[in-house]
Amino acid sequence: MRIRDVNKVELVKEKAIELLVKVGFEGFTMGKLAKECGISVATLYIYYKDKDDLILQVGMEETERMGVLMLEDFDPEATFAVGLRQQWKNRAKCMLENPLSVQMIEQLRTSTYQEKIFERLIETFKSTLGRFMHNAVQRGEIEAMPLETYWSVAFAPLYNLIRFHNEGRSLGGKPFVLTDEVLWGTFDLVLKALKK
Amino acid sequence: MELNMNDILLFKTDIRTEGDKRLIAKVMQEYKIANWTVDQDDIDCVLRIVSSQLKLHDVINLVVHNGYQCEELT
Repeated sequence: MRIRDVNKVELVKEKAIELLVKVGFEGFTMGKLAKECGISVATLYIYYKDKDDLILQVGMEETERMGVLMLEDFDPEATFAVGLRQQWKNRAKCMLENPLSVQMIEQLRTSTYQEKIFERLIETFKSTLGRFMHNAVQRGEIEAMPLETYWSVAFAPLYNLIRFHNEGRSLGGKPFVLTDEVLWGTFDLVLKALKK
Repeated sequence: MELNMNDILLFKTDIRTEGDKRLIAKVMQEYKIANWTVDQDDIDCVLRIVSSQLKLHDVINLVVHNGYQCEELT
């Protein structure tokens, strides 16, 4: 009996992410992926039923991996400032170290795969972050507000800085590199905006 | 559960349209082949069957007999 070759599966995953970002869902074919990996198409079909199955599996595994990284060392019972700082730290690290995965997940978010892939992840996030926000309100650290408002104020500034960084440019094409100083300076402003 | 890879049979076919697929579905049902898929996004319309009993030539005969091309995907 032949066994599943873990290295090969990892290679396929890595190349699939690269190719999806490069050519999109429409342009992505099993043939192109096999060529990128230097393996036969038949090998791909041993691991995956078809193109949809491959995109779903790779998308789900990667989204889950990123989800775990984003909640690492995060305690929903922590004080508001400590908890939010940890989330900024995790998100920044995760997104800066995995720029291709971030792009693929963004593509998935606006695709027909969206529902299947994000269903489970969203539940985990909603319950953990919902509890964190609820605790902060109970302790009188922040005002009660819709989760969407909270999310937008808490994270949109961070995502925008990371977007500038990954594109290497900010407003008007000005070169931009995200430094710790800018990151945590922005964080302090966000904290000020949210805290009572 | 880990699949035994020797049980995965792969074929290049011309099962291209939904109608083709419906016809093959009937054939598969008739022969009690449950675990099969066709990748119709792929240029080779890859037929994938998981079975520990079927042999490559069984499937090729069956598919060709029903009017489609079918050869082993290598």
